[in-house]
Amino acid sequence: MSSDTTTAGFDVGGAFDVNAPQAVVAVVAALGLLTLPFWASESFTNVMVYAGFWAVFAAGWDVISGHTGYISFGHSLLSGSAAYATALLVVKVDPHLSLFVTIPVSIGAAVAMGMVFGLPSLRLRGPYFSLVTFTSVLIALKLIDVFSGVTNGHLGMSGIDVFTYDTTTFYYYTLGLAACVGAVLVVVSRSNVGRVLLAINAREQTVEEAGIDTTKFKLWAFLISAITMGFGGVFLAHYYGNVSPANSMSVADSILIIAMAAVGGTGSIVGPMAGAYLLLFLRDVLFQNWLGIGSNVRLVLLWAIVVVLLVAAPEGVFVRLWRWLGDPRGGGSRG
Amino acid sequence: MAESGGLLAVDGLTKRFGGLVAVDDLSFTVERGEILGVIGPNGAGKSTVFNCVVGQYDVTDGRVTFADDDVTDWDTHDIVNAGLARVSQHSRPFDAMTVRENIHLFTVPNSVLAFRGGASDEAVGDIAALVGIDDALDERPPDLTHEYTRRLEIARALATDPELLLLDEPFAGFTQEEVRDLRASIETINDDGTALVVVDHNMRGLMALVDRVVVVHDGALLTSGTPEEIADDDTVADVYLGETGDAS
Repeated sequence: MSSDTTTAGFDVGGAFDVNAPQAVVAVVAALGLLTLPFWASESFTNVMVYAGFWAVFAAGWDVISGHTGYISFGHSLLSGSAAYATALLVVKVDPHLSLFVTIPVSIGAAVAMGMVFGLPSLRLRGPYFSLVTFTSVLIALKLIDVFSGVTNGHLGMSGIDVFTYDTTTFYYYTLGLAACVGAVLVVVSRSNVGRVLLAINAREQTVEEAGIDTTKFKLWAFLISAITMGFGGVFLAHYYGNVSPANSMSVADSILIIAMAAVGGTGSIVGPMAGAYLLLFLRDVLFQNWLGIGSNVRLVLLWAIVVVLLVAAPEGVFVRLWRWLGDPRGGGSRG
Repeated sequence: MAESGGLLAVDGLTKRFGGLVAVDDLSFTVERGEILGVIGPNGAGKSTVFNCVVGQYDVTDGRVTFADDDVTDWDTHDIVNAGLARVSQHSRPFDAMTVRENIHLFTVPNSVLAFRGGASDEAVGDIAALVGIDDALDERPPDLTHEYTRRLEIARALATDPELLLLDEPFAGFTQEEVRDLRASIETINDDGTALVVVDHNMRGLMALVDRVVVVHDGALLTSGTPEEIADDDTVADVYLGETGDAS
């Protein structure tokens, strides 16, 4: 029995075999999400709207960091770059620019940022990679201030078309985006590419000895991750209608993405996405809306729960649950 | 650079770690199809040589030529894809993968667009059968015996379809019977046309297996020759004083 957490989520891949309990849970969860606006309050639904963004971000982070173990503390830089690109195009260039222009250009901005920081840093190991990613967000946030004549500094840029003010409609937009992103990334994760990325996490030198260029695969994962973050960032800009450091690129956002992925189960794509929905449900629906807990206490509670879950189920609660459903007597703790 | 006919040529290889000279101007060649033994006491620099050969360490000086290519500065994956595989003395299987998946990973194409591919289940089974672990394909490494774990390492290296296979201390921790069985497996691999370099600090396990022996001491070449010549060499006996009694 191995409980090596560095390879958690490893054997979620490999096959799409599901047994009856797993299928039931998956169908119930899918139906619950699909029908949510019909049984949940508007405020609940609204939380689940942006949970959809966060699910996209958590999945985007998981492709590179959750799979390879190269932990990025700066993923909000990628989504933020896309959001800022959209804002700059709409506010500074032409408010009537087509989405067919702004979306690809904005995703290109996320990819460009990813390559600027990813290319040199992916050759670094361990904490050095993390430090570079973390620093990159700090640099970007300062640059927003330095160029406040263009970016409008802390206040951010307004005037971006909000896709719709109807909560239910927007809920289906983000759910659809999350579903598409999730489907694509699950295929990647379960493929040879995903297996190689997970093996890099376990021991990169051994993967090199398999004749595989690990740098190439890490860059590929980083590219896919940046594209994913770019999609999320563009949608976020069109959700708020305003792009500011606080709502698009904060350091806290980068940390929250990691918490969601770790709680859900890194390396499994679906786990981090579910982790996003879980943490935002706890923070904004249960603690805030239902229990009326104040904002500071609510965050203390949230992070305390994150710590407890990480200790109780280091492989991720949803990965643990999925394995337990697959083999209840196996205890679900197999590494 | 390549010496004619040699599959692998190590030429003047030197590796320093700070002030320590781990490998000192070492030269030797491996011919196509042969089994070369590399022996030397613990700490002689044998593993360091092979870490340099497979590109895991940068060399301080000297050249490594494989199949007429100067591979001295190549990355490990390029060297492996050129046909040179190494089995480290430390087993490092992926514990979360089955034996089958471990072997399969070593057949995955080096392409980020190859979402599928690599060896079929049947081909993976054939590779496992070559080293006698085809009855454990669905096991995970933590459940394997030491012998099977070592054999899995060899299977993974074979899965890269090498022309030359470097085995670092393959018999370490084996019983007499396991040594005999593995020696037979190595001979089968060699009969299929794969050249091998077998590294050991113990001469006895190697002598019956290898065509030639290179003796390394303090990072430098001490002598080389046929197993019989090495067995009769007084210098080698001196170096090995106190080592020859090891159980293999």
